[in-house]
Amino acid sequence: MHELDLSRLQSELLRSGVAPRHVRRTVDELNDHYEDLVEQALSEGLDNRSARSGAMAMLGELEDIAQAVRAQPELRSWAFRFPRVAAVVYPLTFVMLLPAAPVFIGAAHANYLARWAVCLFLSGVVTAAMFLMLQMAITLT
Amino acid sequence: MAQSNPPFMSGVPELLLLRLLDQSEMYGYQLVRSIRAATGEAISLGEGVIYPVLHSLERNGSLKSKRMAVSGRTRVYYSLTGKGRQRLGKLQDDWRRIQGGIANALEVPSHA
Repeated sequence: MHELDLSRLQSELLRSGVAPRHVRRTVDELNDHYEDLVEQALSEGLDNRSARSGAMAMLGELEDIAQAVRAQPELRSWAFRFPRVAAVVYPLTFVMLLPAAPVFIGAAHANYLARWAVCLFLSGVVTAAMFLMLQMAITLT
Repeated sequence: MAQSNPPFMSGVPELLLLRLLDQSEMYGYQLVRSIRAATGEAISLGEGVIYPVLHSLERNGSLKSKRMAVSGRTRVYYSLTGKGRQRLGKLQDDWRRIQGGIANALEVPSHA
């Protein structure tokens, strides 16, 4: 294998409670670092395959990187750092936000709602026009 | 794969990163190259392990970062803050004290 695959590192870090934004950033910076190493190796005359395998070796074992991330408690999400607080705050927030759920769902599906609103308005206009014509027909006869 | 650090190396990457960033702002790849150059390749890190250290230093306010687009790629440049400078001063003092202590211990003839 000569392609860097950080998906396993990513899921392992998320599973161990590292905050998603730190995981994303670590993966992005590791990818950039890897590309820099490959560029450097290619500029030194190595073929693509050797450059990539060399870059992976220089970057280090992914397990060592995962361990280095896990060793920094500041990088964990607050729910993992303060599990007891999270156990109280999450359910309370959920219960408080539950009545507002239709608003959030409506906002998330604003396009569909707008289309339905236009359709309802147009059908109302058509129905009103038909009633008006009926009324006029009755009045004129 | 790159050789991992022995246990007594803990804290050394932090000291080196702060020292190098005190001179100029750099991104991760540059920092690793600079560590190698500054230590005469005596310290060889698994290069990927510097990112958690950088992120942790940023999280505790010792570093700040900014994203810059360079040659079509986004780089994260790190620089030292005032708090980082204080931390560097403390780590340097600690390191010199330990270094002096070990040097003394090595100079004392061992008892066979």
